[in-house]
Amino acid sequence: MEKIKQNAIVKKIGFNRVVLLCVMVLLYLLFALITPMVKANASFVSYARMVSALKYAYFLGFLSLGVTFVIATGGIDFSIGPVMFCAALISGYLLTAKGWPLALCLLVCILVGTAFGILNGVLVAYAGLPSFITSMASMMLAKGIGSVCTKTQSVSWPQLADANGWYRNLVGIKMGSGEFPTGLVLLILGAVICAIILNKTMAGRYILSIGSNREAVRLSGVNTKRWETLAYIICGTLAGMAAIFYVAKNTTVLPGLGDAFNNEAIAGCVMGGTSMTGGVASIGGTLIGVLIIALLQEGILAMGFQIHYQYIITGLIVLVVVWADLRSRRRRN
Amino acid sequence: MGDVILTMKGIDKSFPGVHALDHVDLEVRKGEVHALMGENGAGKSTLMKVLTGIYSKDEGTITYEGKEVEFSNPRAAQDAGIVIVHQELNMLGHLTVAQNIFIGREIMNGKLIDDKKMNEEAAKLFDQLGIDIDPKETMSRLTVGKQQMCEIAKAISHEAKVIIFDEPSAALTEAEIEELFKIIRDLRDKQMGIVYISHRMDEIKVITDRVTVMRDGGYVGTLITKDSTKDDIINMMVGRVIYEDPKTESAVAKDAPVVLKVEHLNAGRMVRDVSFELRKGEILGFSGLMGAGRTETARALFGADPKESGDIYVNGQKVDIKTPQDAVKCGIGYLSEDRKRYGIVVDKTVAENSTMASLESFMKGMFIDKKKENQIAQQYVETLKTKTPGVDQLVVNLSGGNQQKVVIAKWLVRNCDILIFDEPTRGIDVGAKSEIYQLMNELVAEGKSIIMISSEMTEILRMSDRIVVMCEGRKTGELDIAEATQERIMHAATLRD
Amino acid sequence: MRQRLGIRGDETMTDKKQGNAFTNNPIVRAIGVQKIVVVIVLIAMILFFSAMSPAFRQYSTLLSIMDYTYYLAFLGIGVTFCLITGGVDLSIGTGMFCYALIGGYLINYVHTPVIVGILATVACGLIAGTINGLIVSKGGHAPFLATLCMMMILRGLGALVTGGASITWPGATAPNGWTRTLFKMDMGGTKVPLGFLWVLILAVVMSIFLNRSRPGRYIIAIGSNKEATRLSGVNVAVYQTLAYIISGLFTGLAALAYSSAFQSMTPGGGGGIELNAIGGAIIGGTSMSGGAGTIAGTILGVFIMSVLQTGLPLIGIQANFQQIIIGIVLIVAVYIDVLKNKKLA
Repeated sequence: MEKIKQNAIVKKIGFNRVVLLCVMVLLYLLFALITPMVKANASFVSYARMVSALKYAYFLGFLSLGVTFVIATGGIDFSIGPVMFCAALISGYLLTAKGWPLALCLLVCILVGTAFGILNGVLVAYAGLPSFITSMASMMLAKGIGSVCTKTQSVSWPQLADANGWYRNLVGIKMGSGEFPTGLVLLILGAVICAIILNKTMAGRYILSIGSNREAVRLSGVNTKRWETLAYIICGTLAGMAAIFYVAKNTTVLPGLGDAFNNEAIAGCVMGGTSMTGGVASIGGTLIGVLIIALLQEGILAMGFQIHYQYIITGLIVLVVVWADLRSRRRRN
Repeated sequence: MGDVILTMKGIDKSFPGVHALDHVDLEVRKGEVHALMGENGAGKSTLMKVLTGIYSKDEGTITYEGKEVEFSNPRAAQDAGIVIVHQELNMLGHLTVAQNIFIGREIMNGKLIDDKKMNEEAAKLFDQLGIDIDPKETMSRLTVGKQQMCEIAKAISHEAKVIIFDEPSAALTEAEIEELFKIIRDLRDKQMGIVYISHRMDEIKVITDRVTVMRDGGYVGTLITKDSTKDDIINMMVGRVIYEDPKTESAVAKDAPVVLKVEHLNAGRMVRDVSFELRKGEILGFSGLMGAGRTETARALFGADPKESGDIYVNGQKVDIKTPQDAVKCGIGYLSEDRKRYGIVVDKTVAENSTMASLESFMKGMFIDKKKENQIAQQYVETLKTKTPGVDQLVVNLSGGNQQKVVIAKWLVRNCDILIFDEPTRGIDVGAKSEIYQLMNELVAEGKSIIMISSEMTEILRMSDRIVVMCEGRKTGELDIAEATQERIMHAATLRD
Repeated sequence: MRQRLGIRGDETMTDKKQGNAFTNNPIVRAIGVQKIVVVIVLIAMILFFSAMSPAFRQYSTLLSIMDYTYYLAFLGIGVTFCLITGGVDLSIGTGMFCYALIGGYLINYVHTPVIVGILATVACGLIAGTINGLIVSKGGHAPFLATLCMMMILRGLGALVTGGASITWPGATAPNGWTRTLFKMDMGGTKVPLGFLWVLILAVVMSIFLNRSRPGRYIIAIGSNKEATRLSGVNVAVYQTLAYIISGLFTGLAALAYSSAFQSMTPGGGGGIELNAIGGAIIGGTSMSGGAGTIAGTILGVFIMSVLQTGLPLIGIQANFQQIIIGIVLIVAVYIDVLKNKKLA
């Protein structure tokens, strides 16, 4: 064990992430094995299933990357799922009902997310409200605003064949019988940028440090409020981007939903080794965590189970992972 | 003095990496006030925590009323008659005085709590002690002194036989201390055994019968107070002479420029109309008893807490400091008394902590120049002789003294000219202490100026060029090192309106 | 998050008797300034809605306010205990639906007697509450996170038990409909909001429990200063768990009230209702940081929520806007609480 831990490559990636990768592979093998046994004529090992799982991981991945920044500060954002829906609803409404150009709508989509990020950030960092209750309140705002804009109607974004349908290529480009996973490329690109922000820039340094010891950072002459707000803004913006990938996958958006995705995004994040108490975060871990969640989701569907199992499993995962993190921290101190 | 009521023998306790108690003995008799003395970190509080079951001991025996005991929690100790009046007030701010006194053993009327009866009982207790407190008042609305009295009343209501006072006078006014001593004498006359933890020598001479001295987690000895002098006790506490003779004259030229001038600073009740000047190359000592308002002054000056009024001039320029950012921009650095809470960022490395206050100068475009960061951090590790396996080590893994050096490095990297060192050697072992002293001397020699807040008289007399003394939020004295003596400082530190 | 009161800070040297003649008036202090303000706001709101909408002045509006009040009041009473310990229970909204689904499923599909369905509903609440309490007190999880996970689990569970189908509890005229009359009795054509009586009785009982019993006292003490309470020899974990058990129990009762008032519920619903209840409690003066709170305040706060919920549609504001308004009300209430604590610390 120790030998593996000391291995140069393992050290570079991080031991926990290596374990997580193994979990992912094992989970895949497990589903491959069980699926035919549970449901006749069903198979998990197929290109289509893989693509389907990945498509789920794209939008969830962006949500999860965003919330990683907030959790790194020691906060939480429960509004990301509904904000994603709100952004998709508002921009979709502008696209379909008002005929705005697609590119502008995509920009609006991202900006709606940014706006919620600013709201949350200001309320938490400047007004000093607890982040969980603030973000739950803005979850209500997001749901309400989404519904009000579309008059409680669902919004259908254009299909690929329609005019303005090119945005669907963002998740995958049809190539013969297969599909080129554009989404995966974009998600990895997003993750790399996030990792650079978190580890190489001043923003990331201060965001992590605030999560570790806010007062010490403030007394070092750092404007902690500004950097904390920035974490929420990054989170909101990425939720806006996630909305694009969500509609590119599903096209149809219903108002008043989205809170289930909060939990899946947070689950992906904490599984990846980001500590709920703040100060420690890993973008690579978040990415793998999200892939595991997506795999779970696909596996449950493949076996013909109801999606409700997903809720239960995600809840349990968060509990267990956070418990393990708490324990290891307690042992260290 | 009566029979022995409590004996602790050969108590040994280790925490990971620290030998906190090394075979310590303590004997308390009925009807005596027994002082437990020692410098910060000598192990007094740990010993009491072992006694009351907060920590379990590794070795040794505790004999109480002739029987060997081991309490599993403070409640069990309380039930047996050993109670502790904590240094940190353990009060429940939202509840009333009576509810606080009877927490955990409410007087019941059937299934319901009889608050009326509890108020009456509390009133009786206060009568007995001669204190005027309304039992129905909400706890958080009382003064700290009165809250302390409530704690004592609570202890007595346990039918205690041994009461431990853990630095009870730290936050009290003179009048309140008088009241406290009167109560303690009453309790002694009732044949209770009293352990009195304090580091104020005058109090020890006034109130206690015997003194047990601890040093670095070990037992040094026990003296009869009236037969021993202050010096005897001090010698036992310090053991060897670890400090040089006091500085005899200021090393600062008379005409050295004033780098920092504070005028009529007001911030809450702990900082009232404080004015002073700091000269280039000077170490300005801030002395005073605990709770004199020195840290509060530093925090208000640094912008960490809001101030109500007052002008601050840096190098003759009037500056407006509202936040720590403003202070840092003016070249002021603040080394907090509480390293863990306000100094280090535990999940970050030595290098990352070192550059926390000056990250802007380590940027290469949008990105942090890690190479430069490590290089500068390494340089300071070497100059400060920080013991760490490398600059990529997490600071949480360093010892207290080395963590302190990392915090100092943070301000040196920032190149601050005015440094506020708040209790720079608290909780640091002797060797690291003298290194930090040496470092401070080097810094002022380079032309930096230091404000040093310290509760250790020897530290003040050894390091300062000039000494400001505070008491209850006011500046009550300013002495040049040439004229400063322990007595004169003490006199100013207890100068009340 | 919570600063220990009075250890340091500028007010430590003198008495903290601040405030003006009004706030120091003994009667005002006994009732609490915030509650007086809430009552005034409540009356103002009722007057406003009555003036704006004739429909609001009708008896049926009172009944529909009551329908909202029942379940919100139960949820509010329960969550007040969690808030007072310095925690929170986010699983109550989803939980309420889940328990009602399970109870209704037993009655409709397993054909158990109604009483079994009712007992099962309450029992589910108790079990979930106990688990919440243990995760928080023994597992050391942050309350919001633990109960959020529980919320997820309950959402999935409710749907799984009914197989994704909605459940309708027996109607008032159905053979098993006596449950509905528990809350709304038909007396010669006039519907009497009997449920209000239960709410009042339980509020009084729980208020006495909170203020006059040992467990209640310890729950307040934990919220005020957990470590000091522990050092006083109180088994903190037990009473912290108890707060969540109470919350679970009252969520079970709320499930009964909800199914009696609205009859049917869909799986996966109920999310967001917890915010109405928590908002009500905070408006009523219960602090997010623990130690302070009253049942009476919560009931008043919940009334504000239900008057809003009933009144807004009547003056032509659609349901979507309500979510926005309630979100804003919540933020404002929490902000006032934060300011209050800042002043105190």
